[in-house]
Amino acid sequence: MIGACLICLSACEPSEPITEGPPPDVRRLTEDQYRNIISDVFGASIVVGGRFDTPVRTEGLQAVGARNATVTAAALSQYDEMARSISRQVMSGPSRQFMAPCAATGQVEFDEHCTTQLVTKIGRLLFRRPMTDREISDRVGVVRETTQRLNDFSEGLSTGLASLLVSPQFLFVADVVEDDPNESNALRLNAFSKATRLSFFLWNRSPDKRLLEAAESGELHSEDSLESHVERMMASPLLKAGVRAFFTDLLEFSEFDFLEKDSLIYPAFGAGAVRDAQEQTLRTITDHVITKNRDYRDLFTTRDTFMTSTLGMVYRVQVKARPGTWEPYQFASDDPRIGIQGHLSFLALNSHPGRSSPTLRGKAIRNMLLCQQVPDPPPDVDFSGFNDPNSPSKTARERLTAHSTSAACAGCHRITDPIGLALEKFDGAGQFRQTENDALIDTSGDLDGIAYTDSAGLGLALHDNPATTKCLINRLYAYGSGNNLSSRNEWMAYLEDRFSADGYRIMSLMKRISASKTFYAVSAPDMSGQTIETAAVQ
Amino acid sequence: MTPRTLKTVLLLAPLLTLTTPSNDAYAEPQTLGFVVTKWNTAMHETRFMDECPEGPTPGNWEIWESTVTPEERRSYPEALITQVRHVNYRGPNGEDICAEPTSVVDPPLKIVEGKYSYGIDLDNNEDGQATPKTCTHKNFAGLNGENGIDNQMYRLMGCVEAWRSYGHIESNANSHRVSSGLGMILMEVTGVDDLLNDDSVKVIFYRGVGSFTLDSKGEVLPFASYEIDHENGEPRYNDMVSGKIVDGVLKTVAADVHIPHYGNYQYLRQLIQDMQVDMELPTESGKTSGMVYGYYGVEQFYSYVRGMLTSFPNRHKFSCPPIYVAAHELADGHPDPESGECTTLSSAFKFNAVRAFINHPEPEKLASTSDSSGALAINRR
Repeated sequence: MIGACLICLSACEPSEPITEGPPPDVRRLTEDQYRNIISDVFGASIVVGGRFDTPVRTEGLQAVGARNATVTAAALSQYDEMARSISRQVMSGPSRQFMAPCAATGQVEFDEHCTTQLVTKIGRLLFRRPMTDREISDRVGVVRETTQRLNDFSEGLSTGLASLLVSPQFLFVADVVEDDPNESNALRLNAFSKATRLSFFLWNRSPDKRLLEAAESGELHSEDSLESHVERMMASPLLKAGVRAFFTDLLEFSEFDFLEKDSLIYPAFGAGAVRDAQEQTLRTITDHVITKNRDYRDLFTTRDTFMTSTLGMVYRVQVKARPGTWEPYQFASDDPRIGIQGHLSFLALNSHPGRSSPTLRGKAIRNMLLCQQVPDPPPDVDFSGFNDPNSPSKTARERLTAHSTSAACAGCHRITDPIGLALEKFDGAGQFRQTENDALIDTSGDLDGIAYTDSAGLGLALHDNPATTKCLINRLYAYGSGNNLSSRNEWMAYLEDRFSADGYRIMSLMKRISASKTFYAVSAPDMSGQTIETAAVQ
Repeated sequence: MTPRTLKTVLLLAPLLTLTTPSNDAYAEPQTLGFVVTKWNTAMHETRFMDECPEGPTPGNWEIWESTVTPEERRSYPEALITQVRHVNYRGPNGEDICAEPTSVVDPPLKIVEGKYSYGIDLDNNEDGQATPKTCTHKNFAGLNGENGIDNQMYRLMGCVEAWRSYGHIESNANSHRVSSGLGMILMEVTGVDDLLNDDSVKVIFYRGVGSFTLDSKGEVLPFASYEIDHENGEPRYNDMVSGKIVDGVLKTVAADVHIPHYGNYQYLRQLIQDMQVDMELPTESGKTSGMVYGYYGVEQFYSYVRGMLTSFPNRHKFSCPPIYVAAHELADGHPDPESGECTTLSSAFKFNAVRAFINHPEPEKLASTSDSSGALAINRR
């Protein structure tokens, strides 16, 4: 009876609406993706030095901005340096085993057979697809020529490997399309592009051997096969890396590279705290959404987290873990700190170097968590009153009230400040305080009509706000596909409905997205006489 | 409510919320931890050193120089190290004069003759006459005009420049402690029902193991967690005293307390007899300072002086024999029952501390480790 009901429930689930996909696109590898691939292909001991181009953030995500990212001349030079450094390390260190069957050292003569085998093997992993004959012969030619000029086969192999690492086929992820045999006049992603999209979405790295094999055999185009690979990949420990990469992007943790805090004002917030603060939030998230598979919305009300001795000083809590190690931690039920928006990572990142900022915090919550774009301030804003050290206004609320009397400012401040002011009992480094300039801090405010008196109330308001879950769906889909859902209302409504039915479990949402047709759907591009890949290379 | 009390209430307001989860009248008593970051002999130093009318006491090298003629001096080898050996081993039979301070008769130590000092009236006796528990001594006046202040440690060392605030001995000790984590003093105040006024709290002194957590300027950060040095779950230092909080100031009753000490390459399990602590509870910054009063053993103090590197008396301008002699002469507490000679010096120490969390050994971890893992063997002295 129960079984029958379950079958019925499953069968009664609304089916995925058919939606048209966006045109195929090309995206630059992110720094993390580049590093993950190098580590997977050549081993974790390879050091990737050098600086990557500053990522472009579009619609709240670098993953979407990667569509617009180019490689500047300076960045190309860096890629070249990195490629040479990596190939030198591969040829000289323990990673040389990856150069089999050309692993013998001291060989002078060029060996075409092993070079071809090697280029084919490594190229498939780096390009995320089998290389074409032309691509193989070009690389083999590079190895041959270098070997003959330098009279050193190792140097030849090293140069050949470096040439693979700077090739656009490696540095860019291109959507390659083919005719859809199941639908006339329609296109679909080819199996390798499909595998790549899936793998970067769930693991933030290239497809593994099994996924590439499934793509090679064409098996990945079958729904069952796709679903079984999604199941397998979601059960893998590598899923954590994928979830971490998504939230790192969503919460704009790349900005930590530029974070500055006044060490005189916040002596406890040093480099260790900066590092651990990010890790704390990512650990909390992965523990919450993967290990415990809890409701995504509870991330804004949870008191469970992890702590190090370094963070303990800033949070002012007792930590038993030895320095450099982590321990689970739960904030007390009456502690004002609640949810990931109460973590140092959020509070410190969205503050000024020497003081908190209700406006920046409110704006960050609107932008990152509710997908509501708050425009930047106009260039001619007069901050003198706000920054006046002799101002009679003691608290940020008083200063903002005075500042927001200007009509030009009031519009935006009205939607940011009531959110950020709820977090005002956390200073610019995220440390708790009761007062500012000896005046008690008022943390009352409202979020889209829900009034609260403190940070816990803000957490509940975020938890219950419909925009919170909508935003996550939008961002998650955009992160994986490089496109937003704005023009696909039917699909969005379907995902919202299913997300709710699944108890707002991110694991279920990721599974639905990655096993869906829409996630891989493409429409005909404006080719202007070129193939997509040619366009990408150019 | 006095103006001071009102100010204390306002300043402690943030701390109250940090440590007291609710306003429930039956809330659990709180525990406050502290780690001592600086420890100095309390010296009242006037601008022109008026308290030392004869000037600063001469160092070992100066005393030695005064005993040899220029011709004799020229006869010594040129190497400084050889000369230093002559200076330190200048007993009649080549004795090390720090190890055997009575082997020579040096000029007497120049001692403090000033009127004022830090400290308290430890013996409840304003005239300084001998009592069953004290020997005759001169009292100081307090800096706020109090009478009967006992501080023979200051009288003894106040004219030794190396011990004064600009000298190297105590600043070396403080920086060595902070950089090494050795001799870390942890202080735990338990049973705190009210941070402003509580007539009954307990204060326990432990030794910490591990490193101090420092900011970018090398200052000890508040609110770090520290481990207690223990063996088989029993803290190696564990002296507990009673106290109370008055207007936000912690005051303990007199009791004998062992406190760890490290400095100038020496470890001491120092005993301060009839010790009293006076410390303002910190505000939101987590930083505070206080005073420790009590009697410090003469032999304990001299063993610290004697144990310093052989170059110290010359480099830092002090001489062991005059200190040894004067310490015994000035001792004013705890008369030896047989000889009647006093064995301790009334003392006052200034200290700085920051709020800290004190981790006690966990029973489940003791099964696998019998003592504070990570503690240096040398740190267990």
